[in-house]
Amino acid sequence: MLFKSSKKQTTYRKNQLDYIMFVLVLLCVILGLIMLYSTSAYNGRVKFSDSAYYLKKQFFATSIGLLFMYLVSECDYHFWEKFAFPAYVLSLILSALVLAVGSSFNGSKRWLSIAGLSFQPAEFAKVAVILFLAWYISHAKKKIVGIFSMLKVMLMVMPIVALVGTNNLSTAIIILGIAVVMVFVASPGYKQFIIIGLVGVVFVAIFLSVEQYRLERLMIWRNPEKYEKGYQTLQGLFAIGSGGLFGTGFGESMQKLGFVPEAQNDMIFSIICEELGLFGAVIIIIIFFLLLYRFLLTAHYAKDLFGNLIASGILAHMGVQVILNIAVVTNTIPNTGITLPFISYGGTSVMFLLAEMGLALSVSRSRHMQ
Amino acid sequence: MKKEIKSDREYGFIKEGGRKNKKNNKKKVLIVFAVIMFIIVFLVGRLVFLMVFSSEYYGKQAKELHQRERNIKAARGKILDCKGNILADNKSVCTISVIHSQIEDQEKVIEVLTKELGKDEEEIRKRVEKVSSIEIIAKNIDKSVGDKVRSYGLSGVKIDEDYKRYYPYDSLASKVLGFTGSDNQGIIGLEVEYDKYLSGKPGKILTLTDARGIEIEDSAEEREEPENGNDVYTSLDVNVQKYVEQAANKVLEKKSADSVSIFVMSPKNGEILAMVNTPEFNLNEPYTLSASDSALAVDSAAKQDLLNKMWRNPCVSNTYEPGSTFKIITMAAGLEEGVVKLSDTFSCPGYKIVDDRRIKCHKVTGHGAEDFTLAVMNSCNPVFIEVGLRLGVDNMYKYFNQFQLFGKTNVDLPGEASTIMHKKENVGNVELATVSFGQSFQITPLQLATTVSSIINGGKRITPHFGVKICDKDGNTVEKLEYKTKDNIISEETSATVRQVLEKVVAEGTGKKAYVAGFHVGGKTATSQTLPRSANKYIASFLGFAPAHDPQVLVLVIINNPQGIYYGGTIAAPVAQEIFSNILPYLGIDYDEEEAASSGGTTE
Repeated sequence: MLFKSSKKQTTYRKNQLDYIMFVLVLLCVILGLIMLYSTSAYNGRVKFSDSAYYLKKQFFATSIGLLFMYLVSECDYHFWEKFAFPAYVLSLILSALVLAVGSSFNGSKRWLSIAGLSFQPAEFAKVAVILFLAWYISHAKKKIVGIFSMLKVMLMVMPIVALVGTNNLSTAIIILGIAVVMVFVASPGYKQFIIIGLVGVVFVAIFLSVEQYRLERLMIWRNPEKYEKGYQTLQGLFAIGSGGLFGTGFGESMQKLGFVPEAQNDMIFSIICEELGLFGAVIIIIIFFLLLYRFLLTAHYAKDLFGNLIASGILAHMGVQVILNIAVVTNTIPNTGITLPFISYGGTSVMFLLAEMGLALSVSRSRHMQ
Repeated sequence: MKKEIKSDREYGFIKEGGRKNKKNNKKKVLIVFAVIMFIIVFLVGRLVFLMVFSSEYYGKQAKELHQRERNIKAARGKILDCKGNILADNKSVCTISVIHSQIEDQEKVIEVLTKELGKDEEEIRKRVEKVSSIEIIAKNIDKSVGDKVRSYGLSGVKIDEDYKRYYPYDSLASKVLGFTGSDNQGIIGLEVEYDKYLSGKPGKILTLTDARGIEIEDSAEEREEPENGNDVYTSLDVNVQKYVEQAANKVLEKKSADSVSIFVMSPKNGEILAMVNTPEFNLNEPYTLSASDSALAVDSAAKQDLLNKMWRNPCVSNTYEPGSTFKIITMAAGLEEGVVKLSDTFSCPGYKIVDDRRIKCHKVTGHGAEDFTLAVMNSCNPVFIEVGLRLGVDNMYKYFNQFQLFGKTNVDLPGEASTIMHKKENVGNVELATVSFGQSFQITPLQLATTVSSIINGGKRITPHFGVKICDKDGNTVEKLEYKTKDNIISEETSATVRQVLEKVVAEGTGKKAYVAGFHVGGKTATSQTLPRSANKYIASFLGFAPAHDPQVLVLVIINNPQGIYYGGTIAAPVAQEIFSNILPYLGIDYDEEEAASSGGTTE
């Protein structure tokens, strides 16, 4: 199926924009802004006496992001090859800076304030890692075959994982996920990955048992009703459950009225469920799914390994982030703060996501350039 | 997979890897995608589980979280007298409060509230300017004032309507009616006894609020209408009550008594027409003590004691030594048992020796020779001691039981006291002798009157009561209240004899000051000394009924600690006479002209 349908697309004109991907991204952005407004209006009114407070900021960031996307999609993605390593180094510097002079919000030190604008280096780090790994792997003298060459690649990203992970475990997990996927795609064989997977499980188990509060998270995950810290999770479940098949209607969410704390952030999907119901939630998931499918095609038809790896990295990034977000909101996994791409509130996030989409569009343009 | 290989031709990066590597890459991206797809499908399944199968579970909990319940008070039912006069009513009152955050024109709000509520501007300013979510400015404001404040349409000013219990006659029958607390529940009296009929069922408004508890405007509210309480119709008669109260107050003042209790009941069915316990208290201000008492209320406990005392209904809750009025019961038992006949003759030397005791008659010089009728008319103690001794303990207690003298009357008022009588096994001759003329035991006034009623009405034990029927708002009867009766506690013959003798007591004996020409009043006087005897405090009482041949009304007058003359026949009988002469014509009791003419001379 997959390759049959993709064959038809080979009739596209050379250098033509992947309109389907473009439209899907725009759909995500527009739906995101609408739902963000619905979800954040109450919090904006209560905290800033302006129900459009969050929307305005997000709209501003989205506009810049769309400009980025356009510019990036217009140039050949090979243009970025020479920036791949510097970008990675920059992300390391910025992440280190956050630890030193970052500003806190909601108890997490994740922002750098520059000239009145706050900036989240972790979001930049994700793009930087994708670009860096794609460049590194595609330019490596030897193919990544052995377990050692794989570990070498993994070690390359460990500094950024460690820096980001210090105060933003969720993003570190995503970066790690991106790296694993990219190495997996680039190297032949499977056995090593099974070993890596097992090592990962052991690592997670040790990681959890070292600190008491991580185990507590697990307990909360099993029984959110019984723990005070399960409040956010429970409120999210209330919102989702209230939605039913068709939801309470757009703008009608009760849970966004302060019950789900900071509903416009990580938990926005629960409010989407409440207002639009299972029906609306599945439509959003389908849009994400179609977008992931476009990344797959882009990777598939990429002209070279660099392009293939960029598309794979983006596919991994989007896939992991969407899955983790929905899994957290539905209490399928323990709570960890992960935003829903394009929809959750966050200026830096949407800006770099759109730039990343520009990269994906750029790669997709370059296919079948025979 | 074959197709995949074909499409390989179009695959770009030959430079770095060659066919094998290209194929590997494509396959692996596909695997990644497949895994993602698999997880997404799983998560959709999880969503279906949450949003379809757990929807009710979580939705219900969420709704409970969002809804705030506000009660709507149910209007309490009225209490009415037998003529439909309202004794306890509801008044619409308003609570005026301000919501600081919603006030637009603060000065105007202060100005209007000061003007309309007639309160001190400083005080109102202080409350209006206070930064709080809601501040109550005034409670129990008349509805007309509330409406006027509302007509200004000031934002931030909230006017809530509410009901307040209101007693149109202030202190009338205060200890019978009782009053309600702030939660609209009865605290004493009929308000407690009939609370379940009167209170109704409060309604609810369920409103949605945000997490801060602030109501959401324009949200659909669920409403459960309150069920108003039903009305209770009583046997009380405002006119009789008023008249009796007047008479009671008169004698209270004249004799500087501690208190006076009088009640009027029907011996036929136990309906109580009036029950007065002076001094009464104002039901609209039940927590205000009288001037003399408030001086004694040194602390809150002392105040509560005084309030409880003020609210107490002595006719029902207090016991006393009945004295000679109890001789009616001894007489009925003696006649019924046949140990004494009206024609039996006795001789009273002024005392009687029982075992080793010499028990005095109230007439120290003695009544001399007398038949039983005369002995009753004279209220001669030695004769009643003789009747008691003739009956013996077993018979005496048999009749007490038969008359249902022990225990409570089961009147429809809370806090009724039981009879305090000697244990049968402890009763010797001396005890039996004193019981015979109404001493050495305690009984409530209502128990005495009820037992006498049952003796003179032909032998039917009745339950004294106020409540007659329960009606809804539109006056339709919801329930007719029924009370227990017991027939044949005494023969009709004995009953008639007792009535006849007691009429003579009033016509010619100790009770003659209760005589009302033309109405055949029967009755018995009593003068009892309270415990301790050394205090020299007395209770003067008179129990009377009319007409003697077919008793329709029974009155019991009890004067506590009168100053000066304290004989029941002298001070209590005239009170009954005054009441009878007014209420008998009012109640439409037949007037016997013949009798009135024949005995015209004896009326005072």
